[in-house]
Amino acid sequence: MSKKTKVEDNNKKNPLGKIALWIVLLTFAVIQIFPLVWLLDFSVASSNEMFTNGLLIWPETFRFDNYVNAFQNGHVGTYLIHSLVINVLAVVCVLLFSVMMAFACSRMHWKLSKAVLGMIMLGMMIPIHATLLPNYVIYDRLHLTDTLFALLIPYVAFSLPQGLFLTVGFMSSIPREIEEAAVIDGCGVFRIVFTIITPMLKSSLVTVSIMTFLNNWNEFMMASTYLSSPKWKTLPFSVLEFTGLYSSNYAVQFAVMALSAAPMIIIYIILNKQITKGVAMGAVKG
Amino acid sequence: MHKTYSNKAVITTLVLPGVLTFVFAILAPICLSVYYGFTDYSGLGAYQFVGIDNYKELFKDSGFWLSVRNSLLLAAGFICIQHPLAILTAVILDRMQGKAEGFFRCVYFLPNVISVAVIAYLWKFIYDPNFGLLNNIIKMFGGEGTTNWLGTGTAIWSVLIVLVWHGFGWGMLIYYTGIKNIDPVLYEAASIDGADNKQIFFRITLPLMKPVIQINVTLAIISALKQMETVYLLTNGGPGNETQFLANYLYKQAFQSFRYGYGNAISVIFVLICICATGLLNIVFPKEKEA
Repeated sequence: MSKKTKVEDNNKKNPLGKIALWIVLLTFAVIQIFPLVWLLDFSVASSNEMFTNGLLIWPETFRFDNYVNAFQNGHVGTYLIHSLVINVLAVVCVLLFSVMMAFACSRMHWKLSKAVLGMIMLGMMIPIHATLLPNYVIYDRLHLTDTLFALLIPYVAFSLPQGLFLTVGFMSSIPREIEEAAVIDGCGVFRIVFTIITPMLKSSLVTVSIMTFLNNWNEFMMASTYLSSPKWKTLPFSVLEFTGLYSSNYAVQFAVMALSAAPMIIIYIILNKQITKGVAMGAVKG
Repeated sequence: MHKTYSNKAVITTLVLPGVLTFVFAILAPICLSVYYGFTDYSGLGAYQFVGIDNYKELFKDSGFWLSVRNSLLLAAGFICIQHPLAILTAVILDRMQGKAEGFFRCVYFLPNVISVAVIAYLWKFIYDPNFGLLNNIIKMFGGEGTTNWLGTGTAIWSVLIVLVWHGFGWGMLIYYTGIKNIDPVLYEAASIDGADNKQIFFRITLPLMKPVIQINVTLAIISALKQMETVYLLTNGGPGNETQFLANYLYKQAFQSFRYGYGNAISVIFVLICICATGLLNIVFPKEKEA
């Protein structure tokens, strides 16, 4: 608090300084947000209005039918559902596997616990894209391409190292006395993990969920390598496929881009605080 | 207690799902990459073992070296341009209060939640020579505005701008959290001692942010090495290999030039480079206990 008062004093003494700060912040805000405003603006115009010299256009008629067109022809609805199913499943698996492994590796007694933990952590260093070629061949041979598992398995695998790392960290702050009492009462390991430990980890598991979701939601490299039929295609495909289909109707392309970005923006605005916290924690601890 | 906690069957059940997923999706593929890296497999049909020929070729391949150069350029762009600006905005943002603070933080981070697919196509349109935003801005200031930004010469800088722009909010957010964690008592003490803003920044804020800066620099270098998606959609490494990055190059070799074996050899080197870089950065920036 004292810092704030001090700064306020400074600002009162120096109104020019305050204006300068605002200008810097606003400049960066414009740089970050203007391309998105431009995107929205062009998405309600008609394609032949785009060849103007101005920065933004005020369309003669607002072409909201661009969005209808984009939604229908871009398969936005179907792909959105696929994305939701895959990502929710991935988050659930990452949470489950992380909690189970974290408990086994940091609480239970076995020789290889540190080795297993170390091996998974090594996964944080492995670049995702280095597995694209071999995984393509593996999934192709096992007939996993075009299935849900072609995306779910790598998404879980690549989010697991960070999830595990965070969970181990948080678990170490839970006192062991609670479990000891439970063991004496004859409580089994699974019950300890799921009814005692997991509820205590609640806020940290939110962080893990957010990180997993953010990392996988917009992924499309693996998706476009392992999927060729529309059966499980995810939201980024709406944009990827559309550019080929309507290469001259730019306005509709802008609309499909805006549409496919919308769900995550809405989630971000709703969960703003948690996401901010999650990103910061994930980075500092990861 | 000890007996319950060393039950082998329970341990196996707890560990197995995670380990299996990891082995199946990460470890086994990398071993397979090592194997295919020694062959001349095209992706179809028969193949032969060619020993270390792929690796020999790789070290003479200009596309590979351009990829490495571009990763270094990108890392430099992150560290020299993105991060100082991110620290600057984070420090200023820290002095804002109430609604303004939340608003700016939200705006800065927003591009990060948008799919790379959207970002890449959006910037493709911004760079478009016919109706692109960038050329229109240049025209507004009286320039000619007919540059093909993704063409020879300018392409790599155009790509770097997109990447620096896209990651700005993420870096800013981490710095911002770092600054928020600094004890306000220190600022109070400093201002009682008569320190001005500049002194406070260089003597207190910056030194105390050292661990956060180290983390952010590490993340920046690693993500510069791993870059693929934006480049894949924006230029696919072109024109020529001017904007090539390792991940994109191995993908191109395997699926567009049908040199699957060679692509895997690049994969192996790619993994090694990432592991070495992480290891090296951990030595340069030893983890402090209170990060």
